[in-house]
Amino acid sequence: MSITIEQNKMLIQMIKEFTANELAPLDMDIDSRGDYPDGLFQKVVKTGLLGMTLPREYGGADFDYVAASEALEKMATGNASMAVTLEGHFKTIEQFIKYGNKALNDKYLPSASKRIFAFSMTEPSGGSNPKGIATRAIKQGSNWVITGDKIMITNGGLAEVYCVLSKTEDDQLAIFVVDKDMPGFKFGKREDFIGLKGVPVGEVVLNHVVVPDSHLLGVIGQGLEIGDNAHADARVLMGAVLAGITEHELQTAVSYAKERKAMDTPLYQLQVTQEKIADIAIAKQNIQALYQKGANDKVAGKPYAEVAAMAKSYGSRSAVAAGDKALQILGGYGYSHEYPVEHLIRDARAMELAEGTIEKMNLEITNAEIAK
Amino acid sequence: MKIVVGIKQVPETDSVKIDPKTNNLERSGIQGIINPFDKNAIEAALQLRDQAGGEVVLLSMGPDSYTSSLRDGMAMGADKAVLVSSRAFGGADTLATGYTLAKAVESIGDVDLVLFGRQSVDADTGQVGPIVAEFLSVPQVTFAETVSLESENTIIAKRQLDSAVQDIKLTLPAVITVRKELNNPRYETPVNMKESFEKPITVWTEADLNLDPSQIGQAGSPTSVTNVYAPTKEVKKTTILPEDPVQAVSELLGKLD
Amino acid sequence: MDNNEIWVYVETTGSKIEPTSLQLITKAKAIADGRKVVAVVPETSSINAETTVKEYGPDQIKTLVDDHFAHATDEEIADALFQVTDKNRPDSLLFPATILGRSIAPRLQAKLGTGLTGDCLDIYYQDGLLVQVKPTYGDNVMCDIVCPDRRPQMVTVRPNTFRAEKGTGGATEIVQSKFTFHKEANSEVVATDPIINSSSKLDDAKVVIALGRGAYSDKNIKLAQDLAAKLGGMVGVSRPLTDEPEFSHDDQIGIGGASLSADLLINLGISGAVQYTVGIKNAKKIVSVNIDKDAPIFDESDFAYVGDVTDFLNALLKQVR
Repeated sequence: MSITIEQNKMLIQMIKEFTANELAPLDMDIDSRGDYPDGLFQKVVKTGLLGMTLPREYGGADFDYVAASEALEKMATGNASMAVTLEGHFKTIEQFIKYGNKALNDKYLPSASKRIFAFSMTEPSGGSNPKGIATRAIKQGSNWVITGDKIMITNGGLAEVYCVLSKTEDDQLAIFVVDKDMPGFKFGKREDFIGLKGVPVGEVVLNHVVVPDSHLLGVIGQGLEIGDNAHADARVLMGAVLAGITEHELQTAVSYAKERKAMDTPLYQLQVTQEKIADIAIAKQNIQALYQKGANDKVAGKPYAEVAAMAKSYGSRSAVAAGDKALQILGGYGYSHEYPVEHLIRDARAMELAEGTIEKMNLEITNAEIAK
Repeated sequence: MKIVVGIKQVPETDSVKIDPKTNNLERSGIQGIINPFDKNAIEAALQLRDQAGGEVVLLSMGPDSYTSSLRDGMAMGADKAVLVSSRAFGGADTLATGYTLAKAVESIGDVDLVLFGRQSVDADTGQVGPIVAEFLSVPQVTFAETVSLESENTIIAKRQLDSAVQDIKLTLPAVITVRKELNNPRYETPVNMKESFEKPITVWTEADLNLDPSQIGQAGSPTSVTNVYAPTKEVKKTTILPEDPVQAVSELLGKLD
Repeated sequence: MDNNEIWVYVETTGSKIEPTSLQLITKAKAIADGRKVVAVVPETSSINAETTVKEYGPDQIKTLVDDHFAHATDEEIADALFQVTDKNRPDSLLFPATILGRSIAPRLQAKLGTGLTGDCLDIYYQDGLLVQVKPTYGDNVMCDIVCPDRRPQMVTVRPNTFRAEKGTGGATEIVQSKFTFHKEANSEVVATDPIINSSSKLDDAKVVIALGRGAYSDKNIKLAQDLAAKLGGMVGVSRPLTDEPEFSHDDQIGIGGASLSADLLINLGISGAVQYTVGIKNAKKIVSVNIDKDAPIFDESDFAYVGDVTDFLNALLKQVR
């Protein structure tokens, strides 16, 4: 066994334990209270999970995306919210690693194993459409002055460092790094979403926030490219989260079908149930295959944006559909808050929208196919 | 402070069964894990190290595959590990195992404290800790519920007997075996996992230890296992009570008297 | 020099004699087959445990009297026992598998350089050897272990594995053994606090109402407590319920918890995993209630009720005086 495989095994084993002991028992509670209970996120930080993918030189563990995505799958099997919180962080620091200048990375990345980094593109004026970006970055000497309003930020409010897509005076897109402690930085309102209830999704308002030149991520004009790259990374990890959610749906459906009897026959012996369980199991395997290919291609240095889009497009729809089938197996119980199925559907549904809608992903997949 | 933690790799016990026909242990495909109680001992050692400084050395006796448990312990934060491994140690019972581990502790040298889990979940029942203490001629506290450093070389540990709780003061060096209730073992962290592959695991054979060959392995083991089998169930004659709870209870009360 | 005697270590804490030691005297007599049964009693001058021990009819009682035993460490007790066992080694030496027994026996074992099998569930002689039956792998597997060449053949035996019975006939010789109490310089019992509730132990309760996962609800807990109060018994639980806020490890029955010696045990919503049933095999009458007619617990039960726990408890509470 290679050392990498052994290390990845260790990580997955530990994540399974952590999930079983710390997250899975709180899954229903997180959904009903609409937040992480006190101390839970701190436990995640203390266990060093934020530094999973961070390079060693910055105090991280430097696990690659093959390991990290599998870890998020296992975590999402117990609780999808925390897995999505980590996904938002991992994809953001990945952009620092790829595009960040040395001064920026030396300044920020050592803290990335202790605090959450977030990526913010969307604005109130509409979607992630780069043409409509209203956030302005004005050059002043060796500084930039940033003003604007960013919404629907994954981990908004929880995160302490934000990558902000902005437009310069000459209408070029660029990403700047701002810190929550900077003068002019303010948190706005938290969205009242119907699923992934633990993940804070919120607003950040920037009023003449001054950052030095070194806080430019990549170069002026690279904003879109970095945004696309962040999307691709996020989609691999979200594919993993969706595989985890589907596994959770599968486990719930299977254990119910084993226990529950209709006229003395366990449900799983009925053909109508078998068809649904088989569909859920197949969906899970397919989502897994897609995100794992995305992760493997990324680690191997091959193009992975298209398969990442597939993992999330197919994954989100299939996880929602699988949840619907699981709900039907559980009948009235499936439709109740007593069982997790209904919240798993709401959780999965978020990913038909986040990090690019299904429609946007399908457009990207089509473009990629046309270009071949 | 130099702390040695004795650890054992065990199969995940719930999955070990006896084949009822052949009476053989079915252990194939079962993964080895670090003995769960040993994690409490590692946690206790790490806390003492964090408080008093020094290092935590893991010690185990067994085949090469035990390195995976030693790595797990280092991924929790232990500094290094020693594996005592050789065919000559094979077939050791608790006495021979305790003797060999005591010799290894002597070879590690300048050890202030040796910690063990209260017992392994697979085979023995907490004998090795006291045996090691006896061979090292040092005092012990078994089944400790609290362990606190009182001075540089004294520890006070609490132990619950059936009818009393004792506070025992130990002058180091000493051996302590710990209960699960002592602490909550920390999780391995991703960074420590990577580092566990960079920390040293020293492997010692009988040639590296200053020991009496007649006291190790099979030769040094007074006991032998003559038979292994599945527990037999006594089949009781069971009276099934009627379905109606009121009738059931009156029939039961009638028959119990 | 070896002799043909079975020695039983009699554990005393304060003025209390460990019941397992008395159980072992009865067992030793049952398997002795001509061997002499000797109770070894380290005690302070005020305890006079031999008065009680005598009732169980060992052939001889060896007392080791020293007031230091009130606060003795494991090392000191092991040293005292070594002085009386080494020169005149018994054939077998039995300890209760209590915390103290499990701590002293292995130290003595190392001093004597002999074999010790811990936590036995049975012992018997075969071809002159003491066969030591020990569970492993969480009681999924049983092992027979022997110690062919060295003496004594040492074991610790799980509490309540056997029943203590007062002896009849034969006179008991009481001998005060010569030994020197050696203070251990590097360890000291600095405080001993009696546990107040030691009388209300599950192990010794005459009636036990046991709750499992399948009966876990506020209502059933309340009903079970009411029933226990009415019958003068105690409520215990299977392993999974120790994680619930209402219960702790002290309430656990089975491996790692209590071994019952109750006259009546009522199992509620307990499926009957081996980890549990090993703790109930000495209960005299067992009644089990479970919704699943195939629950393994019924195989261990004298009475089985297939149905709802709450209904059964309600009916029982009404009909019991």
